[in-house]
Amino acid sequence: MLKVTSESLLWLMLALPFLGSLLSSILPARKRNTAGILAGVVMLLASVVAIGLYSSISEGSVVRSRIPWLPSLGLEIVLRLDGLSWLFAALVLVVGFLVVVYSRYYMSPEDPVPRFFAYLLAFAGSMVGLVLSGNLIQLVFFWELTSLFSFLLIGYWYHNERARSGARMALIVTATGGLCLLAGVMLLGKIAGSYDLDAVFLAADRIRQSELYLPALGLILIGAFTKSAQFPFHFWLPHAMAAPTPVSAYLHSATLVKAGIFLLIRFWPVLAGTEAWFATVTTVGLCTLILGAWVAIFQQDLKGLLAYSTISHLGLITLLLGLNSPLATVAAIFHTLNHATFKASLFMAVGIIDHETGTRDIRKLSGLARYMPITATLAVIAAGAMAGVPLLNGFLSKEMFLAEALDLHRESFAGRTLPFLATLALAFSVLYSVRFIHQSFFGPPPQDLPREPQEAPRWMRMPIEVLVVACLVVGMVPALTVAPLLGAAAYSVLGPNTPSYSLAIWHGFNAPLVLSLLALLLGALGYVLFGKRLNRQDGTPLVGVFKGRRAFETVLSLLIRGARRTMEFVGTRRLQPQLRVLVLAACFAGLLPFLRYGYQGGTKVGTPLDPAFALIWLVGGICAVAAAWTAKYHRFAALILMAGAGLVSCVSFVWLSSPDLALTQLLVETVTTLLLLLGLRWLPARSRDLWPGSRTPWRVRFRRGGDVTLALAAGSGIALLSYAIMTREMPNSISRYFVEHSYPDGGGRNVVNVILVDFRGFDTLGEMTVLAIVALTVFALLRRFRPAPESVRSPEQQRLQDASDDAREGRERGDTLADYLLVPRTIMEWLFPAIIVLAFYLLMRGHDLPGGGFAAGVTMSIALILQYLASGTRRVEDRLRVHPLRWMGSGLLLAVVTGLGAWWFDYPFLTSWFRYVDLPLLGEVPLATALLFDIGVFLLVIGAIALILVAIAHQSIRTTRRRPEPPLAVKSGEEEA
Amino acid sequence: MSGAPDLPGWAALLVGILVIAGAVMTLLGSIGLVRLGTFFERIHPPTVGSSSGMALIVLASMICFSVLRSRPAVHEILIAISVTMTTPVTFMLLARAALYRERLEGQSTGDPGDEDPVHSD
Repeated sequence: MLKVTSESLLWLMLALPFLGSLLSSILPARKRNTAGILAGVVMLLASVVAIGLYSSISEGSVVRSRIPWLPSLGLEIVLRLDGLSWLFAALVLVVGFLVVVYSRYYMSPEDPVPRFFAYLLAFAGSMVGLVLSGNLIQLVFFWELTSLFSFLLIGYWYHNERARSGARMALIVTATGGLCLLAGVMLLGKIAGSYDLDAVFLAADRIRQSELYLPALGLILIGAFTKSAQFPFHFWLPHAMAAPTPVSAYLHSATLVKAGIFLLIRFWPVLAGTEAWFATVTTVGLCTLILGAWVAIFQQDLKGLLAYSTISHLGLITLLLGLNSPLATVAAIFHTLNHATFKASLFMAVGIIDHETGTRDIRKLSGLARYMPITATLAVIAAGAMAGVPLLNGFLSKEMFLAEALDLHRESFAGRTLPFLATLALAFSVLYSVRFIHQSFFGPPPQDLPREPQEAPRWMRMPIEVLVVACLVVGMVPALTVAPLLGAAAYSVLGPNTPSYSLAIWHGFNAPLVLSLLALLLGALGYVLFGKRLNRQDGTPLVGVFKGRRAFETVLSLLIRGARRTMEFVGTRRLQPQLRVLVLAACFAGLLPFLRYGYQGGTKVGTPLDPAFALIWLVGGICAVAAAWTAKYHRFAALILMAGAGLVSCVSFVWLSSPDLALTQLLVETVTTLLLLLGLRWLPARSRDLWPGSRTPWRVRFRRGGDVTLALAAGSGIALLSYAIMTREMPNSISRYFVEHSYPDGGGRNVVNVILVDFRGFDTLGEMTVLAIVALTVFALLRRFRPAPESVRSPEQQRLQDASDDAREGRERGDTLADYLLVPRTIMEWLFPAIIVLAFYLLMRGHDLPGGGFAAGVTMSIALILQYLASGTRRVEDRLRVHPLRWMGSGLLLAVVTGLGAWWFDYPFLTSWFRYVDLPLLGEVPLATALLFDIGVFLLVIGAIALILVAIAHQSIRTTRRRPEPPLAVKSGEEEA
Repeated sequence: MSGAPDLPGWAALLVGILVIAGAVMTLLGSIGLVRLGTFFERIHPPTVGSSSGMALIVLASMICFSVLRSRPAVHEILIAISVTMTTPVTFMLLARAALYRERLEGQSTGDPGDEDPVHSD
């Protein structure tokens, strides 16, 4: 029975959105209501869990739950809930629930809504994970996850070019910031000696005094600034407005951009308090505050206005955090909360306007209040909060901000000008709020709107109503509502340094109030004076020439072009230089230790050389050298010689008593030679007189000479290395362990096989995957393979035979060949079952005697190749079902499932089990689950080789598009066979 | 071979004679391959090695291991069967290809209308 503890609730809160996302992603695209209800229920449940957890953190305590992952590296999965993370998690989930309700009515039935909710839930889950992270690396992980899901959300209408480019821009900017953040937290972890958040908090003083403090601060700030759209990284946010409005309402009020703010607050106790922090954060915040507010005034798109206003408010919060004062930090947390409520409701209201009128252009809208009175009222209140009108929540945090700005008693230029700049920015914010409300909801009835405006449905307004009520309640009775939450959050950041403050509406007639009233007055006056002129204004005066987007795209295209240049300079698509570099690097790496420690042969006395063995090796050596010699013009001869060299190594294995290797070597040698033989036909012809007058240029001679030298160096290097190793005593390696434990632990006497399928089963699984990938790659490459022009035609002999068959009565093409091959073909077909029996024999006995899944698979594929050779591609595929992909897939699946089966019995992945079983007729037979794994290997190997074979074989029956005139000649059906 | 000293004298003698006879046969076949002139003549000698040479050596092996393990060892017969099954296939393929080429050449000299089928390389 699972006991419900705070820790398990934490995991539930994190897991719920992701589970919901998974479920929603598998719903059919039309299940709009199901997806909506699912998402709503998930968000509501998660919100309830979050709210239920409040009691466990309200006293300033911290709930932690940790799962060790790689404890030796300090990597743990830690969930940590304190006042701050509770506040953010609750914000994310509650606003998330409201957005889900709103989206249900906003999204059009034509959109694949389940996918939308899947992204939204996954995004919410990432945000919850981010705020709950108790480990720095984990925090960055969720941080990048939010970037990724916000990319998907912004680009949800992917058929829209603006959505795509906006999403890409947001991803590039925020993910780049995320990389910086990763570097930053790694520095932080290095200074603190741990990635654990609590340890980092404890090391705060050490961090601020460290010489790595400045780089760490810079990197972390870049991460935070890119995420929360601070100047000069703010440009992505307006472009992200191409997203559906619920996404904007969610991302740009409570979540994505607040992640940057969260990060700044989270690290405030560690990083703040220095001059560097003050200078950077305050400057960036102030620039963003003023710039955002100024640009917002000149927006003609309602969402654009809100976007720039968001940037400006984020700048305000950043500015507060930069002031190095605890009270300012409290104000920052408070304003984060307030901004989330009023901005989410405003975005939703704009969504309703867009939805009901068909436009968001502020110049076209007018007098909507008479059509949608309720929405208008809600929007007016929310905009009032944004402008900082008394009795609304925005007013309170704005007062705190002004008080802090005035409190900055510094005998500096910044200290003296800050109150005035702050008032100016607030006046701008009043101006655009008034413009937004007055233009859209008041004035004469609107002319030629795309749609007849009307009031939004009841449930679409509900989320706005909830948020606006929150604005009102917090604004009027802050002490009763938000004060405890804010207190808990502030305490978790500031600890015992938490200042005393009072959240009251009336503090007396003081300087902040005067400035606040001044800002309201200035803003209203500005609208009265310039309101009409703003509608005619295209672009923003003063700063409109600086286009963030253009700069971004220039940088991006420079980067891409630079990367391409670099690729052209250092890269090549030719095989020979690549191989040359590879061998050269290997030679050098091998040489390095000898240069340092010198070369010395071992002391062991060599075994006497058996003359027979020497003779075999002489033959093998001659074969190898001759293969290299003839490879240039006589590929066929070279191939046969290579096979000779391979056979010699095979005989050597037998000689040195390793039957398993010999068997595998023999089989692999056969398959390779056959496949290479089949491929030879498609190679381009080599002409002897490549260079006119048989005069090879010096450049080419030099290159060839270099290649020969390199080959000799590599070969003799390997020989010397082998000599040095083999003349020494074997060190006490792990092989003894394998030999001793293979039977008692693995249940097999064939140590090689037990190592492959049991001790090193995971490696084998990896190798199987690689083999599958290689086979698929070969197949993909050969499918698009265009042979050299001279090898496109059928071989001469085949053409002659076809011509003779065509000429004679009653014969079909290929009859001559069939006649000639009748007896050999019949014998080869008879041999097919015999080879299959051999393959199964090798498979079954593999655990105890030489053989195993790999050898059996290769044997089986040799049988298949033989059939292709004897009867021709068409005939074989008429009679046999050749499904290499299925074989490969089922092989991999079988291996994985066998491995997973061990979990069922509480053993680690790929643990094998064996027992002797008494079978009727056969007697006592050893059975091991490793055999199942080996069958997986077997299937995969057959599939991989067959796939390559099929790819080569189908080249011959492919009709080429050499001559475009007769379209009937192209039989596309056969190409796909 | 570790088991060899345990063979009784008569068996050792028999096995030795058989093995050497088989090896001689195979050697004869190889010499023939080198010495003989035309393709169709050359196709025959290697079969000496793969038939009688193989048979003698398989017999030797059967006697040797039957005596050593004191029970009949007959699975060498499988080797004999598969060798007799598979070697002819190779030779037949070679002979067929040569025959085809021979006929084609004969045909082309008689028929001037055909293009020359002789390969240049």
